[in-house]
Amino acid sequence: MNNERACAQPDARCRLSRIWFNPVDNSEPSLEEIKGSQLRQCQIEIRSTPKVVESYVHAGRILTVASFFSCFRCCFVVMAYRAINKRRHIGLQQLSSFAETGRTFLGPVKSSKFVTSGDCLESVSVSSAVRLLESLDLSSSTVGQLLKEAVHAQHNAYKTGGSTLLFLAGAWSSAAEECLRLGIPVSTVASVMSEGVGSCIEEVASLQVPVHSVFGHGDNTKTISGLETPRVGSCPFLQVPAGAGGIKEEHDFRDASQPLSTHSPSRRPVKPPEFFSLPAKVKAGTEASQALRSSLHTDTCSRKSALILSRHFNQADDSLWISKPDGFLEQHSAATPETYRCRDLVELAVGLSHGDLSTMELVEAAARLQYQKASVRQGHCTVPFVLDVSRIFTCCLPGVPGTFSCVCSGYVTVVSTASMTLIKELENQPVQVVLIEGDLTESYHHLGFNKSANIKTVLDSAELPGDSSEELWASRVLQVLTQFNVNLILVQGSVSESLTEKCVHSKRLVVGSVGSGVMQAFAEAAGAVPVTYITQVSAACVGSGVSVTVWRAPLEVGGRNDGMPVLVTVEGINLITAVLTSSVTAQIRAKEDRFWTCAYRLHHALKEEKVLLGGGAVEFLCLSHLRILAEQSLRRGDHTCSGWLHNTSSWLASSLPAYRPAVLERLAEGWRRYLSALMCNTATCSTELGAYTFIEHHVQNAAGSGSPSVYILNEYSKLNSEIFNADIPGKLEQVPRVYDSVTPKIEAWRRALDLVLLVLKTDSEIITGLGHSQINSQELEGLLFL
Amino acid sequence: MSRLEAKKPSVCKSEPLTNETVRATLSVLKGVLTSCYGPSGRLKQLHNGLGGYVCTTSQSSALLRNLSVTHPILKILTTSVQNHVSCFSDCGLFTAILCCNLIENVQKIGLTPTTVIKLNKHLLNLCTNYLKSEACGCRIPVDFSSSQILLCLVRSILTSKPACMLTRKEIDHISALILRAFLLTIPENTDDSIILGKSIIVPLKGQRVTDSTVLPGVLIEMSEVQLKRMLPIKKASALKVALFCVSLSGDFADTGEGTVVVSYGMSLENAALDQLLNLGRQLISDHVDLVLCQKVIHPSLKQFLSTHHIIAIDRVGVALMEPLSKVTGTQPIGSIGSVSSSSYGIVKELCSAKFGSKHFFHLIPNEATICSLLLSNRNDTAWDELKLTCQAALHILHLTIKEPWALLGGGCTETHLAAFIRYKARNEPESILTDDGCTQAELQLIAEAFCSALESLAGSLEHDGGEIVTDMKYGHLWSVQGDCPSVVNWPDLLSRCGCGLYSSQEELSWSFLRSTCHPFAPQTCLPHKTVSPTSNLIVDCLTAKLSGLQVAVETANLILDLSYVIEDKN
Repeated sequence: MNNERACAQPDARCRLSRIWFNPVDNSEPSLEEIKGSQLRQCQIEIRSTPKVVESYVHAGRILTVASFFSCFRCCFVVMAYRAINKRRHIGLQQLSSFAETGRTFLGPVKSSKFVTSGDCLESVSVSSAVRLLESLDLSSSTVGQLLKEAVHAQHNAYKTGGSTLLFLAGAWSSAAEECLRLGIPVSTVASVMSEGVGSCIEEVASLQVPVHSVFGHGDNTKTISGLETPRVGSCPFLQVPAGAGGIKEEHDFRDASQPLSTHSPSRRPVKPPEFFSLPAKVKAGTEASQALRSSLHTDTCSRKSALILSRHFNQADDSLWISKPDGFLEQHSAATPETYRCRDLVELAVGLSHGDLSTMELVEAAARLQYQKASVRQGHCTVPFVLDVSRIFTCCLPGVPGTFSCVCSGYVTVVSTASMTLIKELENQPVQVVLIEGDLTESYHHLGFNKSANIKTVLDSAELPGDSSEELWASRVLQVLTQFNVNLILVQGSVSESLTEKCVHSKRLVVGSVGSGVMQAFAEAAGAVPVTYITQVSAACVGSGVSVTVWRAPLEVGGRNDGMPVLVTVEGINLITAVLTSSVTAQIRAKEDRFWTCAYRLHHALKEEKVLLGGGAVEFLCLSHLRILAEQSLRRGDHTCSGWLHNTSSWLASSLPAYRPAVLERLAEGWRRYLSALMCNTATCSTELGAYTFIEHHVQNAAGSGSPSVYILNEYSKLNSEIFNADIPGKLEQVPRVYDSVTPKIEAWRRALDLVLLVLKTDSEIITGLGHSQINSQELEGLLFL
Repeated sequence: MSRLEAKKPSVCKSEPLTNETVRATLSVLKGVLTSCYGPSGRLKQLHNGLGGYVCTTSQSSALLRNLSVTHPILKILTTSVQNHVSCFSDCGLFTAILCCNLIENVQKIGLTPTTVIKLNKHLLNLCTNYLKSEACGCRIPVDFSSSQILLCLVRSILTSKPACMLTRKEIDHISALILRAFLLTIPENTDDSIILGKSIIVPLKGQRVTDSTVLPGVLIEMSEVQLKRMLPIKKASALKVALFCVSLSGDFADTGEGTVVVSYGMSLENAALDQLLNLGRQLISDHVDLVLCQKVIHPSLKQFLSTHHIIAIDRVGVALMEPLSKVTGTQPIGSIGSVSSSSYGIVKELCSAKFGSKHFFHLIPNEATICSLLLSNRNDTAWDELKLTCQAALHILHLTIKEPWALLGGGCTETHLAAFIRYKARNEPESILTDDGCTQAELQLIAEAFCSALESLAGSLEHDGGEIVTDMKYGHLWSVQGDCPSVVNWPDLLSRCGCGLYSSQEELSWSFLRSTCHPFAPQTCLPHKTVSPTSNLIVDCLTAKLSGLQVAVETANLILDLSYVIEDKN
């Protein structure tokens, strides 16, 4: 077949570019149909693409779900031109199918997946979007590549938000496709979607919670681990809370404004009549955020009466709600604890843990350690403390039971068991250290040194050198070490094995593959200067006061043959190692990923000094906000166009208002899908339908209340109050709030949108540098050659 | 053993343009380029099909660079467009599409190539003379005393590249940055000749677009650890700088062919290091504060220098060498032996800077025309597109300084020009047909082909099924929804013309393009029109567009003139 074609076009072999025109199709076969009829065509792809096997661990048995990946390539093999039907965009379809695989990674309850290679010899367990995309071969699809690239970029920058990005990219690409199906021009879809998400991002500023001085506030000894049976902090906004097992708090930071005493038996807050006048204001044509602001002030007036009735906050007369220009909600009051303010590290950590309390516990411990050190170093620091992730390292110990995970000050690493006795001897005495930036081998040269090949060494005399150059070098190294009385060598690169042995004999420990951050920490704390060659070592380069001990878990960890962990530390070192242990080796990588996710979440929260209300609250606000926007523009047909369409003179600009409601509606649908996936994952709702009804119910209520953000804040309070009411009086228990870091979340949205718009605006794919012979004969049909 | 093979005869094809496959490939190429044109143009994903980098673009420079065409006719076309783009950075798609349109339109007529070429040349001359003349109705002066037109120019370029993925706010931010970067490259005190400086684009990927910024001087990226080791910089006054382009890594210069024989016990490496340390001593005695090296500095030399409080920065890279030599006011030192006190330069200040996750050393010059534009965008492919766009915009600003005129954009120049040519050809044909034996009828035919090529080029701006209309007074372009009823209230349906100069409320009359209408003389815009401060005009660079027009017509002439393609099959 291939040959025949090549003969028919004699000069075809040298044509190098091929173009795939917009993957469009007249008929619209379902995925199943494609799979069935065109299976033969995709067989090659099935073999080369790893299959995704989904396993629902919590269901107790492994269900395998065939992947959608196998049917992608055939979508491409459609010869058509744009004019036939522009309502179908294969790129967007691909994107949404890809994203579907990451659905179970959303939310606090994640089910992991096994990715098995075609011949099932290897399999990887993945539990995050990044790791999933990493282990898939997406080279056959440009959209897959772009998706992978986007998720990676998000992960590299923030270490969190990858799954959100993946899901939203999928949800919005189906939204965009739906819009195209309705006949809305591509530019309009892009413009309105970008405008809608931009507006959502502005809107969620009202759900930001300021984080101030979480350290040194209240009881510092309280930690997550001290809490009784912490429940999974999932989705408190949408979740009907379980009655028991809240988190104990020493002080009560419940919602000061919750209309406790005005609750009717049905637990619907009885609202004073002013509240209902709000929707009229919104209609009056004010900007949405302004409406919110005014509603907040009105709300204040309405709440005052309620607060007087509260037995806890009866001094709250002077409390005032102020919506600061930056969008924070703050309650200014002398007597009441701030509700919408997070002042407690435990509360913050639990909120950011997203159900993974054991990992967050480690991060919190690390943060406390770092804080203590920082305050020792610089007295009482004026700048707010930020968790410095560059000074935290992980040491993974597979095979050790998970309960031994801990955080320690200093550097924990695994050394060979041969140096066991040496370490015992070095214990309890301060040792001197040198830091080597390169490799510690004879042949090593610094980067950029070009060794000439054509240099020959000749012997002048008959005297033969006794030792090899390697041995000479090793003895020189030992000489230097002896001269400066160095017992510990930290090497960034690799170490020659024979040298390590020799050093062990002369009571010196060499540790290789040390990170540059670790080197820097030791340079600072021990006063050492990193050098590249051992010959550079001078007295000024040697650090001192380092202690080396065997790292031990509370109970002796036995049965490790491949090495043993040691703790290297020095007084005042700004370095923390999180030792991550797991008896299941396959889980260790996921554990490390989770640790970093938690650490970065806390880092961002402290750095930005604000968090978002999580657990679906922001997404719910976006959903309600977009619905309201869509309705408003339907009624008013307003002309403001803040999004993508730059060319205001084009007819697209004037036709924008006609299309806007439809696009916004589809965009909102994306949020709704996000929320329902979240609820299904956390088993809050067993079915999509249940989730749908639940969400719709709340959206109706929120829209009816006039200001969705106030409605959400109220719902948050209600949850707390329900718990409060259900419990024994006097024992204050609280459903933990869920928080989310601000910028990573919003960036994930933006990246998802950018990706969708990039794919949406693309109409053809151009493949370069391939000769005819490299293209499958089946594929030729969709191609045009230049 | 070598084997001789008989040479294959060359293949000769006559009249390549009449070949159906050639026409088809040409129209495919035209389709690809046309669909990219303008602010709402569609993007193309370019990749190698094997999992390589995916480039999403709609720019001619990126597109043509990656597109490998094989047919000689297409090669002529792409090469001349690429040539134009490398000289002018803008109007690449304009050139390519116009060229395709001209070829296509002329083929339908069936006149002899000689006549067509002759007439095309006349029409080209008519256009260029008109665009250069004072009477030109579609160009406006660029006023360098205010930023308005310059900003419009930059904004128009950014808007026309949708793969940059910028929102309106981001476009405003970036255009202000580009303009500032451009202004920083203009020397303050000038003699009779101005030498413009350079803006270095520093990648800051993964950040928000609004995190982009512009700084005077040069930024050298380095790791946080490296930077911490060099700080704090104590010196308050200006720093003496030695700039090396030779490697100080202590390896030996290329020994050429043959073998160097060294007796046992001698170490060439130590000898080289000794030489380097001698250099270090000289630098210390000359009171140098900062050593910059394009390549690698030997760690021992670095250590030696740092113990004497000299900051040593190596692996600066070749791209930064020219700016660094400008900033410090010195020539790079090319040999270890030839360091003299005259080879040192000066920087005013050295400080550290952090942008996103990247750390930089920031060299602030006393007075130099070098600046760094830190450019960020969310994903790699959009960043690459943005970088190309910014380079183009900076280049366009440089061109505009030489010829301070801008053409009205958004398709208005094209329709205006078409109206002008039509009018001239109909009413003053003798002014076009000066000497040679072309008839007026032939002129009418070719002029119509030329005008419709221009007009369909303007129509290519529309990708969502809209229609193009033109007004009967200024000859500007107006866009209108595709399926609108024929009898409509035009002023209500239209808002502004393509370039944004005129509003529909000005008592104009409109007609669809391609409809037969009476030729009219397009009016010159009134001078007071151009300076209205609120107007947000779309303007193009005159120099680039003029060259694009010339290249398009000349390439079309060249292709039309081809009668044989001779291919060596060996």
